[in-house]
Amino acid sequence: MRDSMRRSFWAACAAAALAGCGRHAEVESPGEVRAAFRPVLPDSPADEAWAGLPVHDAALLMQDMVDPRLMEPSTGKVRVQAATDGTRIAFRLRWDDQDKDDLPGSARFADACAVQLPAAPGADSPAPQMGEEGRPVEITYWSAFWQASVDGRPDTINAIYPGARVDHYPFQAAPLKDRSEDQKAMALRYAPARNLGNPMSGPRTQPVQDLTVEGPGTLRPAPVTRSEGRGVHQNKSWAVLLKRPLPAKVGPGGGTVMAVAVWRGDRKEAGARKMRSGWVSLSLEARP
Amino acid sequence: MARVYNWQIGRETSYWYPGSRPKKQFAAVFDINKCIACQTCTLACKTTWTSGKGQEYMLWNNVESKPFGYYPLGWDVRLLDKLGAQRWEGGRYAGSTVFEAAPAGERVLGWGPEDQDYAYPNVGEDDCAGGVTKGAATRIPHDMMWFFYLARICNHCTYPACLASCPRGSIYKRPEDGIVLVDQTRCRGYRECVRACPYKKVFYNALTGTSEKCIACYPKFEKGLSQQCFLNCIGKIRVAGFLSTPKEAREDNPVDYMVHVRKIALPLFPQFGLEPNVYYIPPIHVPEPFLVQMFGPGAPAAVAAYRALPKDKDLSALLTLMGSTERVLSRFRRAGGSVEGYDESGTEVIRVPVTEPAHVRAAIDVAQGVVRSNIT
Repeated sequence: MRDSMRRSFWAACAAAALAGCGRHAEVESPGEVRAAFRPVLPDSPADEAWAGLPVHDAALLMQDMVDPRLMEPSTGKVRVQAATDGTRIAFRLRWDDQDKDDLPGSARFADACAVQLPAAPGADSPAPQMGEEGRPVEITYWSAFWQASVDGRPDTINAIYPGARVDHYPFQAAPLKDRSEDQKAMALRYAPARNLGNPMSGPRTQPVQDLTVEGPGTLRPAPVTRSEGRGVHQNKSWAVLLKRPLPAKVGPGGGTVMAVAVWRGDRKEAGARKMRSGWVSLSLEARP
Repeated sequence: MARVYNWQIGRETSYWYPGSRPKKQFAAVFDINKCIACQTCTLACKTTWTSGKGQEYMLWNNVESKPFGYYPLGWDVRLLDKLGAQRWEGGRYAGSTVFEAAPAGERVLGWGPEDQDYAYPNVGEDDCAGGVTKGAATRIPHDMMWFFYLARICNHCTYPACLASCPRGSIYKRPEDGIVLVDQTRCRGYRECVRACPYKKVFYNALTGTSEKCIACYPKFEKGLSQQCFLNCIGKIRVAGFLSTPKEAREDNPVDYMVHVRKIALPLFPQFGLEPNVYYIPPIHVPEPFLVQMFGPGAPAAVAAYRALPKDKDLSALLTLMGSTERVLSRFRRAGGSVEGYDESGTEVIRVPVTEPAHVRAAIDVAQGVVRSNIT
């Protein structure tokens, strides 16, 4: 898109927002996701700052390239908005989901979503299905299980199965003192994923995780998660804020591509069983 | 999918990865006829490995009554129903394995248990099949009512469905001993393995968000020691070892002898196609069709061999050796009235009499002036 057209689009957005006078008029952006320049990024998905920012409806497809595949379509589209302050970019993803699936269990799965950007933006993007060997993509993943944990759900069996009764945990017996380091160390021995430092095994301090991947099956956590997020379920839909650093060589006035994915917990979607978009153009508004 | 050879079904079958047998394969034999369902094995495992938060419902080892006991609920019958007709032509399986029957978009034919399916670990306990009619109650023994106890752990399969199903490759089979493990640093809790394992021996930890399973007590096994559930078995029904392929079977290797040479120990649901490595000496009092469905076409011959044990010196000697030592036995030898067990280095680690000596005391203790209630 030429610069003159970009400028006139953002002018139209500003006019629409003013015309809406706080009635949250939404400006559709059918061709691409447009990230507005904002010196201060929204802190929540319910932030008023999202009102008036252009909305792109990202159509979702079934992940049907690698087994196991999703064989029945579920979530059809995600409404995507974006804003940047020049160093970070915030996305708001909204999609319809009647049920809030944020309670883990042996057969309960999480509602979740993710945003994917190429690690090295360029004209020739890597494969949209999680990149390819030597051409990684970066993913920011949010899970409703983690959100509930961050929002205060205790790390106990009774928090997820209220009627559960446990006779005995060996680390809660004498002579170990309650909340002592020895007690924590022994409890850790019965939580192998935590003991080995699996970054997703909790208890969570944030509901998102940064990941890199070079093709299906190669997903790995980034050394440090620098993204933030927050999800709220309201009126039978999720609104999730994902905020991450801008990729290298991408800044205001520039652009790259992005993709989104959504998992529905009530349909036991996880991992490869997901709805995902193809690459969608992402353009960043220039600094005023 | 690749093609691999599965000797338990007498033919090649499909598998997600090319065949690659480990250098050695951990295997076990369980003698069902000796199990009393005391659940000591279950508790030995539970206290050793799964006493943590999020592991409350996990039973890496469990003992269920068959035909009506299951953990999780209906684990076997649900898959048997999905798999359709399972026909054998002699020793060759003519039906589909869970890999061959995988629907479009799936790597394995499987199903995912619901939360409540794990809520009844004792369902069906001691429930009998059949009824006693036509005056059968006046005859002992009668063969109209039956049940038996099935002790189960992970089968550390040669072609694990859990491993095949994981899109992340988070499950691996150790080349040194064939033990199948979930990499706890890599698992992301998708539960494809829970869905795929026909024996339902992978469990999701809802507090850590990862799936966990029996590790065959590998820290012990690496030192030549048997697993906790083997060591603590009151009935001494279990023996651990390394199983060879049929062509390389050794007559003096305890598990080779029972599985390959005498064919008295059989795999659990071989028709699923995973080549499971826990072998069962089938119960001798159970109707043949049930045994054939559960243990394959070798069941009638195994039952006949077991019934002939009193005249079978080598086999009865070996069965005496089961559960007699914590050491893993690589070799056994019957010598006169005793049987000896040797570890991998060739050192004799156990020697037991094949027939325990009986001492009979007089019925009346003259010195104490009392009648003895126990004289042997």
